[in-house]
Amino acid sequence: MSRLSVVHLLKANAVSFSSVVQVGDSQHIRLSGRALAVQRQFEYVDSNEFPLAFPIFTKLIPLPPVDHEHVCRYTLHDCPLIAVHSIRIIGVSSTSVVHIGSTKNVEAESRVKHIRQLTERRERHARSRRSD
Amino acid sequence: MNMTVVNHHLSVGHIAIGGVASASLVLIGDSETIQLASAFDTPPESLIIGPFPQKQNNKKNEEKR
Repeated sequence: MSRLSVVHLLKANAVSFSSVVQVGDSQHIRLSGRALAVQRQFEYVDSNEFPLAFPIFTKLIPLPPVDHEHVCRYTLHDCPLIAVHSIRIIGVSSTSVVHIGSTKNVEAESRVKHIRQLTERRERHARSRRSD
Repeated sequence: MNMTVVNHHLSVGHIAIGGVASASLVLIGDSETIQLASAFDTPPESLIIGPFPQKQNNKKNEEKR
């Protein structure tokens, strides 16, 4: 039997990009998220510019293995309560979970690629700095 | 393998968290299995210096029209 979680106050400002705040017990949680962050000097946006075909989005991430060895576990709940007075969270993002209560399996996968694009002028500036 | 776990009194006052990101978990409770994986990529070739090829193509398309 699982323990009872008691939280008096939970305050979360932002929950975004395939994230979950779960209050109560759950069985399976499976989250998946892909992000392509393009930062550039010029203000220019085209959603079809980069297809999500980079290796980081397709490569297999080896998950930590679940040990299938049979463990004879005896758990004694001397006090079947997890008490937390207050939780203050500013942000939950990119396939993350805030879970109050018991769960069975949690699987989450997050893939993030950053691209930075600068203008040529800046390169010249950098080159001149290097020559100094 | 035999294992005995005794859970005694657990009481926490305040938890302050700045951010939970990229396949992370904050769990107030019990769990059986947790598998979290995250990949983050910013290699040197991710830094592109130079003109915007897509922007030039758009300009060409406009000229064609």
